[in-house]
Amino acid sequence: MSEADMAVIKPELMKSYIWLQTADGLIQQVEQEVAMFCPMIYQEVIQKGMGSSKNYAISLPQRVNPAMLSLVLDYCRFHQVPGHSNKERKSFDEKFIRMDTKRLCELTSAADSLQLKPLVDLTSRALARIIEGKTPEEIREIFHLPDDLTEEEKLEPLKNTTDDPRIRLLNRLYAKKRKELKEREKLKNAGTGEEHVDDRSVDDLLSFINGDSKMTKASKNKKKNRRRKEKTALLNESVETDKMETNGLDFVGHDVEHGIDCQLSPSESSKFQDVEEDFFARKVEFDDVDMDDEIDPALKEKIDREVEDFARRLKIDWPERMQEILSFGQERRPVQVSLNGSGSLRK
Amino acid sequence: MLQKQREASSFEIEMELDKLSSLPGHVIDQILSQLPIKDAVRTSVLSRKWRYRWAKIPHLVFDNQCVPVPSQDQTSGKNKLIHIIDHVLLLHNGPIQKFKLSHRDLIGISDVDRWILYLSRSTIKEFVLEIWKGQRYKLPSCLFSFENLIHLELFNCLLKPPSTFKGFRSLKSLDLQHVTLAQDAFENLISSCPLLEKLTLMNFDGFTHLKIDSPNLQFFDIGGVFEYISFENTFQLTLVSVGLYANRSDGDMFLEAIKWHRFFTNLPHVRRLEIQCHFLKYLATGGAPRMLPKPCSDLNYLSMRINFNDWEENSAALCILSSSPNLLELELLARAEEHNAVEKVTYSWVEDHYKCHLEHLRLVKIAGISGIRSELDFIRFLLLYSPLLERMTIKPASLDGGWDLMKELLRFRRASVQAEIVYLDP
Repeated sequence: MSEADMAVIKPELMKSYIWLQTADGLIQQVEQEVAMFCPMIYQEVIQKGMGSSKNYAISLPQRVNPAMLSLVLDYCRFHQVPGHSNKERKSFDEKFIRMDTKRLCELTSAADSLQLKPLVDLTSRALARIIEGKTPEEIREIFHLPDDLTEEEKLEPLKNTTDDPRIRLLNRLYAKKRKELKEREKLKNAGTGEEHVDDRSVDDLLSFINGDSKMTKASKNKKKNRRRKEKTALLNESVETDKMETNGLDFVGHDVEHGIDCQLSPSESSKFQDVEEDFFARKVEFDDVDMDDEIDPALKEKIDREVEDFARRLKIDWPERMQEILSFGQERRPVQVSLNGSGSLRK
Repeated sequence: MLQKQREASSFEIEMELDKLSSLPGHVIDQILSQLPIKDAVRTSVLSRKWRYRWAKIPHLVFDNQCVPVPSQDQTSGKNKLIHIIDHVLLLHNGPIQKFKLSHRDLIGISDVDRWILYLSRSTIKEFVLEIWKGQRYKLPSCLFSFENLIHLELFNCLLKPPSTFKGFRSLKSLDLQHVTLAQDAFENLISSCPLLEKLTLMNFDGFTHLKIDSPNLQFFDIGGVFEYISFENTFQLTLVSVGLYANRSDGDMFLEAIKWHRFFTNLPHVRRLEIQCHFLKYLATGGAPRMLPKPCSDLNYLSMRINFNDWEENSAALCILSSSPNLLELELLARAEEHNAVEKVTYSWVEDHYKCHLEHLRLVKIAGISGIRSELDFIRFLLLYSPLLERMTIKPASLDGGWDLMKELLRFRRASVQAEIVYLDP
């Protein structure tokens, strides 16, 4: 059936149609008033006179695939009608954005390329609502984000500005864990000094690829630290990580942090000291303790017990997490030598 | 080798699935800006790409929701807040377009000066500062060098622009509440912001003469104590709301006489007018003309707080009503404190105003009345001269005399066949 036949059969629908072509080559006909709700299509029609026939179909941007186009047009079809009340529009919007996050992201992208700002606002608000209040792991899972930050980077000390003793203890444990990691790395790299250097340059390379100049600085610092004595190295590192607290404050730092936040109750009172004072005090404390520590099974057990107890109190799945971190040095040892020298823990 | 390949391809698959990180920069900015600052900063642990992504967001909002501080100890809460803001500003990387600081723990600190200095070096467009408690916060002079400012909102601040201040060239919206500002500084501020479209002033001190000279002004909302108000060159003004919190008058007979002229002449296109608190009394003192020299042909909505017991205010209200042929909606609120006064208005003026036809009036709301003669007369007048009236809502101040009021209302003749009178409980 040709276009002309269609027009004859349905004379009451004297609408004009325009032709749109998606990046995959598919051409379709769409009611003009609906499609023109998108500024990009509007411009193509008005300024360039495109879309009037199949041969002159408007080429839509690559980010608009047929599925997304259909969604966008559904949105336009509803909103371009002037008769709806604000309440109706809001209600439509609420129902409209109920879709999986992958499609929501694609829709945002499509709406943006068609310059349909109201839809971009709607979808970005929906995405923000999804992100808000979730733990990093949850967010990573929902959006399929690669977990490519090193454990080092994730284990930045939490900014303990609430003086919560639990946070302080957790920080101490993290610091111990970090130290353990370093010990293991040292042991592993004892015989492979050159590889060590290679790792770091790969690190730099990766950071460079990701366009992250700050990271290269961080890795340089790591280099510097390894050459110094253990104690000073640790002290410097904690200072460095504090200074380059690129992840910010008590907001960030660790995956587990969110769990802790939930548990913090305002009624938790403790002596309030000045923030900086406390941090330095903690560091000194930590150093003293570590002088006597050796990584031996007894200690490992002690740490395990402490952590489990702590985790139970905080109701977090710590044992599993710890397993991963501890196995980091053991299982993945051969893998360390490979390209993935940054040692990130792939889940 | 195989491991490497496997890892490389899994990497690609993850890239494919990760639709979020590949959204355009301005869209990610928009998403992050809609998160409380805490959540936005937390995205830095998600993945490599997101590590410093938050640092580019152009909107920074620090308020009670974004920075929940357990308010046990004020000092510690304050310190934490200062710490957080310092950190975020230091780590931020990119232009800051909007900055809002409104936290209840933010009192008596001079750190705000430091942050304002930092912001003055960026191209900030919107600045909101609310000092919840304590005395007026004296703003540093570097605030007046925010050249790109489009929206400025201040609460509980003291403004002292330096002598070199040439105005905010791009400022479109100004909101000053609980501020102290000298008279000449105020006039200079208004006249040196040529693009100003929206002006809100509430509870101000330091200036009492309001000479509004602003060619692009569209929205004007004021509530405070002043002695003099006039509009000059304000032909775009469409929404005006004036609330005079305490009655003060010039004392000068000449100025009294031209009050009406000063106020209404340069509001030819006003569409929405609210006369609140004692402003009608201010206008009414000294008498009101029968009609305004030029009708307010665009006026669609009028709200007045009126003391029905005062003859001058009644005539002032009638003057405005007579000059608003296209009025669609009217709201009359009885001023409470003069309720117990003895009825002064006994003369029935309704028949005198046969010329006042509210041809388009559709909706009337009257509240706070108690059933005295003048109130009933006014209602009768409105019902008689509004042929297209659809609904009149009446809400008395108290239950006393409710029945009598209703009995009277039932009797009134209505010009409009569709008029509905709705009596609401107080």
